[in-house]
Amino acid sequence: MSESDRKKPSGDAQPSPPGAPTVHPAAGTGPTPTNPPPSPTASGPRAGIEHQPPAAKPPIPPPTPGGKPTPKHPGFVTVTVDGKELVAKPGENMIDAVKKVGSDIPYYCYHHRLSIAANCRMCLVEVSNSPKLVPACQTPMAEGMVIHTNSPRVQEMQRAVMEFLLLNHPVDCAICDQAGECKLEDYYQRHDYRSSRLEGEKLMRAKRKVLGPTVVLDQERCVQCTRCVRFMAEVAREPQLGMFGRGSAEYIDTFPGKQLDSNYSGNTVDICPVGALLNRDFRFRARSWFLSAAPSVCTGCSRGCSTFVDFMGQDMYRYRPRENEQINKSWMCDQGRLSYKYVNQHRVAAVMLGRGEDRREATVPEALRSVAEQFKALAGTEGLAVLASPVASNEDLLATLSFARDALGVRSVFVSGRPGGAGDHYLMTPDKNPNRRGLEWIARGLDLALKPFSELAQAINSGKVKALYAIGGEVPVDPSLVAQGFARLEYLVLQASNESAITAQAQVLLPAAVHVEDEGTFTNLDGITQRFRRAYPPRADVKPHWAWAVALAREFGFPWAHASARDVFREWGPRVAELASFDWDGAAPPVKIARGLNPLPTAADGRPPGYREFGPPRDRGI
Amino acid sequence: MKALEVIIAIGVILGAIFGLSALAYALGGWIEAGFPFFGHRLVESGLPGWAWVSNMLILVLGFVMLIATFLTLAERKWSAMIQDRIGPNRATIDLPGLRGRPLGGVFHVATDALKMLTKEDFRPKVADALLFNLGPILAFAPVLALFAVVPVGPQVTVFGQRVGLQVANPDFGMLWVFAIASLAVYGTSLAGWASNNKFALLGGVRASSQMISYEVALGLGLVGVMMAFSSVRLPELIQGQTTHLWGGTVELPRLGAVNLGIPAWGLFLQPVGFIVFFAAAFAETKRAPFDVPEGESEIIGYFVEYSGMKFGLFMISEFAEVVILAAITTAIFLGGWNIGFGFDSTLTRALTQANLGWLLGAIYATVFWIKALLLCYLQLAIRWTFPRFRYDQIQSLGWKILLPIALANIFITGALILVDPSLRSLAVLGFVEIGFVLALTLRRPEPAGHEADDAHLPADAHGHAPPPLPGAAAASHH
Amino acid sequence: MAYKATKNPTTDLRERLFLPELLRGLAITTRHFLRNLFNPRDTNVHVVDRKGPNLVSTVSYPEEKTPYPPGYRGLHRLVPRDDGKPRCVACYMCATICPAQCIYIEAGEYETTDPSSESRVIEKYPTQFVIDELRCIVCGLCVDACPKDAIRMDTGLHTPSEYNRSGFVWDIPKLLQGPAVSHASDPWNKRASSATPPHQHHEPHTRIGEGLVPLKLPTGEQQKRTEVTDQAIPVTRFLKD
Ligand code: SF4
Ligand code: SF4
Ligand code: SF4
Ligand code: SF4
Ligand code: FES
Repeated sequence: MSESDRKKPSGDAQPSPPGAPTVHPAAGTGPTPTNPPPSPTASGPRAGIEHQPPAAKPPIPPPTPGGKPTPKHPGFVTVTVDGKELVAKPGENMIDAVKKVGSDIPYYCYHHRLSIAANCRMCLVEVSNSPKLVPACQTPMAEGMVIHTNSPRVQEMQRAVMEFLLLNHPVDCAICDQAGECKLEDYYQRHDYRSSRLEGEKLMRAKRKVLGPTVVLDQERCVQCTRCVRFMAEVAREPQLGMFGRGSAEYIDTFPGKQLDSNYSGNTVDICPVGALLNRDFRFRARSWFLSAAPSVCTGCSRGCSTFVDFMGQDMYRYRPRENEQINKSWMCDQGRLSYKYVNQHRVAAVMLGRGEDRREATVPEALRSVAEQFKALAGTEGLAVLASPVASNEDLLATLSFARDALGVRSVFVSGRPGGAGDHYLMTPDKNPNRRGLEWIARGLDLALKPFSELAQAINSGKVKALYAIGGEVPVDPSLVAQGFARLEYLVLQASNESAITAQAQVLLPAAVHVEDEGTFTNLDGITQRFRRAYPPRADVKPHWAWAVALAREFGFPWAHASARDVFREWGPRVAELASFDWDGAAPPVKIARGLNPLPTAADGRPPGYREFGPPRDRGI
Repeated sequence: MKALEVIIAIGVILGAIFGLSALAYALGGWIEAGFPFFGHRLVESGLPGWAWVSNMLILVLGFVMLIATFLTLAERKWSAMIQDRIGPNRATIDLPGLRGRPLGGVFHVATDALKMLTKEDFRPKVADALLFNLGPILAFAPVLALFAVVPVGPQVTVFGQRVGLQVANPDFGMLWVFAIASLAVYGTSLAGWASNNKFALLGGVRASSQMISYEVALGLGLVGVMMAFSSVRLPELIQGQTTHLWGGTVELPRLGAVNLGIPAWGLFLQPVGFIVFFAAAFAETKRAPFDVPEGESEIIGYFVEYSGMKFGLFMISEFAEVVILAAITTAIFLGGWNIGFGFDSTLTRALTQANLGWLLGAIYATVFWIKALLLCYLQLAIRWTFPRFRYDQIQSLGWKILLPIALANIFITGALILVDPSLRSLAVLGFVEIGFVLALTLRRPEPAGHEADDAHLPADAHGHAPPPLPGAAAASHH
Repeated sequence: MAYKATKNPTTDLRERLFLPELLRGLAITTRHFLRNLFNPRDTNVHVVDRKGPNLVSTVSYPEEKTPYPPGYRGLHRLVPRDDGKPRCVACYMCATICPAQCIYIEAGEYETTDPSSESRVIEKYPTQFVIDELRCIVCGLCVDACPKDAIRMDTGLHTPSEYNRSGFVWDIPKLLQGPAVSHASDPWNKRASSATPPHQHHEPHTRIGEGLVPLKLPTGEQQKRTEVTDQAIPVTRFLKD
């Protein structure tokens, strides 16, 4: 499991499905599968285009009287892997199945969500019913089969395959971004580990060929596994990549005149087992072994793809898709991949008081006092409105809206949020807010009416609303226009994570944390609620929305003492019918944080050498 | 070139000592003669016997403190030379002529003093304030008081008055030394106790036990000399040492009768007493090899909590003790200002006739200080030669070796003095003892038995002979 | 030398009496004292174990300096290419291995249109390469780890003193110095651009250190070369003295 967190999350290392039969090697009779594995669910959002690997469905060998063995465990296939008995589901792929008994078959071209190509030959194993070595990815398991994944024959074959693959490989790991998460590197250490016997020259191909907005290709590094080609054809359904040439001159390229501009092209980088396809945004930003990974959720659109957040220090470097059968399988879209940038850039860093000329940095107690003073006078009147953003997490909304209802006495809440955009044929949705469904649920649970943003604009223009408590700085229309409207407000308290035209209009600007800096939940458009974990703590005065609400409530005299998002959820979650049964702790991703090999080099003050002299990396555009 | 510089430096030092001695005599004579420059009335009144004031100032503050101060430098510079290093040479004064010349490091003395005086005077909060402050004073004051009875120069006639270089000449003489020397232990043990630090306390306890142990040997070591000259007053001891054991008067042309005999120096009469006294007194100074009260590598010492000038007092009192030990030893065992071998009578006669009493006194005082400085060097060299004694070794050296030897020495000396009051037989015994030790020292050590066996085995690359093989050893016996 | 410890633990009268041995010890120290006192110091820094009249072996450091031995691990330098840019490709190997974590690197990408032919075929380069020489423990692991022969400690210098900490943070302008180095296996010696070459090159596959490639330097600058040999890298003193 831990491997899948460090390595690319392309499903290369699959966790065993829950409830799958396991093996008890000590028991001579073998196990009785008490809880048969659940049938594969096909309830994805777009089940219509979901692809089922066609080749990986060998029929169960029927127990015929003519010599075919009867199944030891009826309904399952029982085989022997490296001397251990393995009970597998019919149709289960050998590569995935043998992991359950601790065997490891190396592979490049196999991917559990793609068709079987069996062209890399790395997965060759010795089986009892074939005189020759067979590719594990393509060979159905038969009852009673004896499999050797580590015999001398297999080992020699693996070494030979590695030697062939490395024959023309440039081995420029020094400048290759895959280094550290490269299968070729890992398998070289494990299965080859000798110097090249090549006497002549290596073949040379195009390097750093830009394929499209997201991806750059190094043809020399490609091992011709065709995973990328199959992904574009089978999953993204936008065939843009192809295999050209033949023999050792084979190479990957886009079809003539085409660009790799699919919204899913970033996934080819993830599944490419080597450094041939690389992400242009992430390339050269960090070496993979420095990065730590925390399970999180993409906030790019309302699909809410499960992701890993790769970070170093207090800077986020990239999203990687995380396996989630219900939502995003193993994939995510390129728009979502790039949506991490707001986490690093233009953040509100300090508490600010005043507008225009009078603006100054303030301490937290000062700001809280000022808010309490102003809002206590207006509480319960028409002149005080609350604006909530569906980018905030459920816990943020639970606390802030409870504060709005109990302390500010509002009965309705205006909804802000990012403007809508384009959706596409697979994952990406037109609504770019990750938690609209959660906001609806919570408002209903707390007895608050939701009103659209346009009504707020009218109310401000007509002078009805004089003061505003805004949770989140995202607005659905041009921020500079909104800022003009907000300029008319007498008092604007804004909890925002990023600087914009609107933050300039806030009398009290409270720096808000983003989701990677706190734990919590999002509810996606299909009503699936997902937990995410914290990657790193926020800086200085930056606090999550819920923490600001709790602090404000205490200033109002409420005895709130919630110390974490978990406290918040346990207090108000049960009031929301849809969230009442949500197991907050149980739904947490099993991995907390997979730490990088080596933390960022630090100087005596905890910052990297050169940091003080040249400024923090985020100031330099990372 | 270097040798010339060194000789010039030695000359400067001797010149300074000579000048200071001459100044002391002149000042003493001037005071005794009654301030001739302040008018007739005072001249008449005079201040008979008040030369001790000027003596105190010049001997104690001038000689002892100056030499002790420079010994702090000498300690480092000499140890450096003993150990093939350069030693302090970084402090220079940026003045024309001095720029870039460390002058053997003399400016380090000034920088050290500045550092001591300007460092923070820190006192631990839990320390007993009164006793903590009293510690350095009690350690320092007795040391200076010790010097009161030490005569540095003879009584000579200056400005018509008899003047000697001694602060006081009480009847109890040496007993003063014993009494005051034992007081110094209060300073160290108080410092150790008042610091409220277990390491300081350990140092204080070690110091007091060590000093008390050696007190006995210290006293007994001197009894022989006192018996020989039948006095405890230091000037009389010195006077006794100027007598000649075996006279050898010759008539020299222009100089008249010159006695080339051997003077009755305490060292010749009492070599064992000398060793016992010197070792015991060395232990009293708490310097290596008797420095367990400090024990830098273990407990740092009774002054671990002291800083600034308070620590400086401990340090300077240690060096003052070195000077005073050297001076006392000179007076008792090395004949004080006695030059011996015929110089004394000639010099005295010539200068007394010329009525240059101050010159005679200054020459004798210089001789005294030369001997004392040589003994200072000896003490420093001992410190840099010998490893530190273990604590139990210190105690057994004091009680089991020095004490019995001193006692035996007293009885033998007493018997010999009874038998032969001319001290000659005592001197013969002394020369035999000295000769025995010297003979043993100069004898080439015989190679130990099996080292000779090893000699024909091939040495390895590091010059170590490999251990002999069993077979080879057996073969070499045949 | 002067005193030879005997292996025989039994002692004779001389040693039991203690005094003769003390005197002999004093004689030894006094002999050293007098030799060093009266003889001028030998200031030849090349001699370590002195045998002359004066035995003082101290080297009065800032005024006198012992030459560093060949192979001395001195101040780092980033090795330049023929065109003056660093050979470093910002692979972070040195930063990863560095036990003191004193190397900080940020990587950038050369444009394919970079005017120098070397840069056209090399993608990655360090935009920031910072070594905090105060934290460096001079272990030399970074030199061993570098796959590109891009960082060396062959300057024969040690880190110069500074008046504040930031002065010890050496960055590319300070680190990039010394003779340029070129290897046959360097990409710019094998191909002209990132595109697929029209024909395959015909020289044998070489590794770092195998064979020497003449530098494309204007005439007269040849002496700046470091010869790449199997021998220890010669100590080069090329920084301003
Ligand atoms: S693909 Fe792997 S082996 Fe090849 S250069 Fe990149 S990191 Fe190295
Ligand atoms: S580019 Fe990567 S994924 Fe595509 S064929 Fe080559 S190695 Fe496989
Ligand atoms: S010498 Fe060692 S400590 Fe210094 S930079 Fe290199 S790897 Fe780091
Ligand atoms: S190991 Fe060499 S090439 Fe890599 S970053 Fe360090 S200096 Fe540059
Ligand atoms: S994984 Fe089976 S052949 Fe590639």
